[in-house]
Amino acid sequence: MKMFATPWVRTQTGGTTKAVPVMPDAASRIINNAKRPVIAVGAAINDLGDELVERVIKLHEKGIPIAATAHSVKFFERKGVRDVYEVGIIELTNLLTDPEWSGVDGSGPPDLVIVIGINLDLTNQTFQTLKNFTDIPSLSISRYFMANANYSFPNIDDEIWLLYLDELVWKVKERGQ
Amino acid sequence: MSKHEKIKIKKLTSPLLNMGDVEIEFGKIEDDWEEPQGPTPKPGVVALRNWDRRLMERYEPFYTPVCDMCCLCSYGKCDLTHGKRGACGIDSKTQQARMIALECAIGAAAHGAHSRHMVEYQIEKKGRDYRIDMGLNIATEAPIYRTIIGERPKTLGDLEDGMDYAEQQLQHIVSSLHTGMEGDFKDYESKAMHAGMLDNLVMEIGDIAQVIGYDFPKGESDVPLSELGAGTIDKEKPVILIIGHNVVPGVEILTYAEAYEKADRIELAGICCSAHDLIRKNKSAKIIGPMSEQVRFIRSGMADVLVLDEQCVRVDLLEEAKKVKTPVIVTTDKIGLGLRDRTGDGADQIVDDLASGKEPGAMILRPEKVGEVAVKLAERVFPTRNKLRTIPDKDEIKSEAARCVSCEECQRACPVNLHISAALKDAKSGNFDSLAELRERCIGCARCDSACKKGIKPLSLIEGASDYIIKEDRYNVRVGRGPILDTEIRNVGPPIVFGEIPGVVVFAGCSNYSNGGREVAEMAEEFLKRRYIVVVSGCAAMTIGKYRDEDGQTLYEKYPGNFDAGCLVNVGSCLTNAHILGAAVKIPHIFGRRNLRGNFEEISDYILNRVGAVAVVWGTYSPKALAIGTGLNRWGIPVILGPSGSKYRRLYLGRKDKEEKWDIYNARTGEVVNADPTPEHLVYVAESKEEAIIEIARLVMRPNDNVKGRQIKLAHYIDLHKRYYGTMPGDLHYYIRQEGDIPMTMKPEIKAILEKKGWKERVIPDPTLVERLVWKKKDKEDEKDKKEEGR
Repeated sequence: MKMFATPWVRTQTGGTTKAVPVMPDAASRIINNAKRPVIAVGAAINDLGDELVERVIKLHEKGIPIAATAHSVKFFERKGVRDVYEVGIIELTNLLTDPEWSGVDGSGPPDLVIVIGINLDLTNQTFQTLKNFTDIPSLSISRYFMANANYSFPNIDDEIWLLYLDELVWKVKERGQ
Repeated sequence: MSKHEKIKIKKLTSPLLNMGDVEIEFGKIEDDWEEPQGPTPKPGVVALRNWDRRLMERYEPFYTPVCDMCCLCSYGKCDLTHGKRGACGIDSKTQQARMIALECAIGAAAHGAHSRHMVEYQIEKKGRDYRIDMGLNIATEAPIYRTIIGERPKTLGDLEDGMDYAEQQLQHIVSSLHTGMEGDFKDYESKAMHAGMLDNLVMEIGDIAQVIGYDFPKGESDVPLSELGAGTIDKEKPVILIIGHNVVPGVEILTYAEAYEKADRIELAGICCSAHDLIRKNKSAKIIGPMSEQVRFIRSGMADVLVLDEQCVRVDLLEEAKKVKTPVIVTTDKIGLGLRDRTGDGADQIVDDLASGKEPGAMILRPEKVGEVAVKLAERVFPTRNKLRTIPDKDEIKSEAARCVSCEECQRACPVNLHISAALKDAKSGNFDSLAELRERCIGCARCDSACKKGIKPLSLIEGASDYIIKEDRYNVRVGRGPILDTEIRNVGPPIVFGEIPGVVVFAGCSNYSNGGREVAEMAEEFLKRRYIVVVSGCAAMTIGKYRDEDGQTLYEKYPGNFDAGCLVNVGSCLTNAHILGAAVKIPHIFGRRNLRGNFEEISDYILNRVGAVAVVWGTYSPKALAIGTGLNRWGIPVILGPSGSKYRRLYLGRKDKEEKWDIYNARTGEVVNADPTPEHLVYVAESKEEAIIEIARLVMRPNDNVKGRQIKLAHYIDLHKRYYGTMPGDLHYYIRQEGDIPMTMKPEIKAILEKKGWKERVIPDPTLVERLVWKKKDKEDEKDKKEEGR
């Protein structure tokens, strides 16, 4: 069944393309198929207390490197997670436009950018840059449908969002296995 | 300089001729300014293109489109997504750059038209020959003008020359935006920078004209505090509210009220920069706040007459004013709102028509008449209007909230994604706290009102729930002092250039804050406590005045107004941003002994490499702010934007990991050396207040910092990083050039980090990006020239 979603911010339509709305199962397959995914995590990751941070750490434990933007690094630090790549979302997006960039862990440029917990304007603008000036696919696992990503969770409330993330964590395979 | 000179002959008697009352006017006379003319007086659109490209080699334009299409001509819409080209051949990067150039041109034109009007008005009042005297402590009266125009303006009439130049240049820039013109994004960026530079110039011209014409403060640091906030308004008096940026009508209201001894009987208040300028004339006027207060204040019914001038005036204010029976006077040719031009009519007739409600407002283009009509009208309507308001009381809020169907369209329309729907649910059950809490972050745009399919006005409900907050809206702001004194520059020039004053941090721009205005005050205080120089203007200057510490003091009460370490300078309105840049321009001139005259590239190169200044525009929205910022970038000053700034579409980002980007000439030796990556970016967007603070500490570093200066800057950077991120910065190896740069108390820890990173010592150069400014080379060339002359 084909899903339909409209951007949460109705004006964030961009142009002639629109993200494919995905449920956790499809999102996990997109992640599992990627060789070098990275998850960009913004300062709003703490908006629901530990709930979101803990789920992101579980994804990280499955081998997905974290690019911690703005002051989100301190939320990981508090949980004892220190192997995060500290970078501004704007800097990260700029690096992603460079095909020669060695990536957050030196293994080469990412082939999937997953975004969560970043200011809505900045999230949208990040997807706009990736869409227009790179070949790297993007996936939003925010609770808002982001039309300028390639794939995005639909608009959901906080409760459903946490359930979606739980399912995602469960279905994402550990890297190297 | 070239200027107009007049000679008057009262009476001449000679054997051949008898004459009297003769006035002879000369068009142009050369000035006696001993400073040699530099390479680029009145630069044309491409005169500084090489400088711009040099900047963009290091700070590559980074694009983040708002729209993937171009709809500027009827070839389109054209889809430019992912490498596609439009019917004219344009690609997405070039289209983004074109839009940037357009916005900068709009911004420059808005300030330019305002300044042109101000110059003409002051000439009408004071005469073309009225001398520019900025006071005893300012000899460099117009640093931007001198650098760009290559002349010294001595009179009001001279300023017209600068305006002529800017207007002509703007026409060329705007023409390049037509379909089938520029095809290179960097060339469009260069044009955007040109427009930005023109914007900086016309702002300086406009403010000089009003400073001397109205006798505004001329850089005095002990300017008084003025009242700020809706809670300061005396509702027992008729209230005249001015909104906009051109203070001329406001001053005429003040003048009329004073002349007829009515000043104590009316309240004159303002929103946006006209209010800033009004208090420079008379501190008894009041500032309500920035643009975000416009709709709220009008709905509160407190304004008995509304006077609009230009820029950042919401275009639906007439409709809002009608609902509370507030008559509206529009005063410039920029804003008509469909109102009848009554400039030629008698003041009393206009007052009759507006007071009776026969007409909702009037256009009056003579400021003196605005003064008379506004005062008379306010007095007339005050008893009958009875402060009619459209802000609901608690019962009305409850019943309105009960109509909400929780569709969340209000939240989806809200630029800051406020949870309005949830707050309405609480209000429905009689809990108004959630609604009131929204006010802190609400930017007052009223998009929620438009989005509601049920016709609920969430903005008014938020306002009604916040009644108790509004009563406490009583703060203060230091009156805008205008320029920075030459004497202050003499004192702080050396410690700024060597880095011992860790930086000059500017908070400017609009009130489109993504997380409330408090963050601006918090950022400002963080750097004030650390003895940076903090300078504010415009909406940001109002915003930071609206927060008190636990002892009940505002930042203006806590920190003095000098341009010195640990001080808080409010320069004033939008136009006065020119004085902030002017201070940066004066440093190479007064301390660095560099000529300003027609010498843009050298001055900008000096600022970029030596003056640790950074501007923060946390609530961006306007094309004017973009123009100011893009101008600052051309002068070598980095700018940090809040999250909404990402929708300006373009940033200039450096790459510290690319060593080759940071090659620079060592002016002492002529060698190309690899410098530290400072300042790292020219325009950057920070996601959060915390990130902005870290970025400020990073972007004030300059290659010219001496060891002591860099130590101080790094100590702050590390301390802030630990405080806000909880970690040691991972990029210290980029900024430590020599061991001496390492803050003393952290040496062992940092040396261990450097060792892991394979750090190598770097030269601290006498930095310049411009080859001709290499001393050795220049000396050799001079020798060569002399030899050739000898032959």
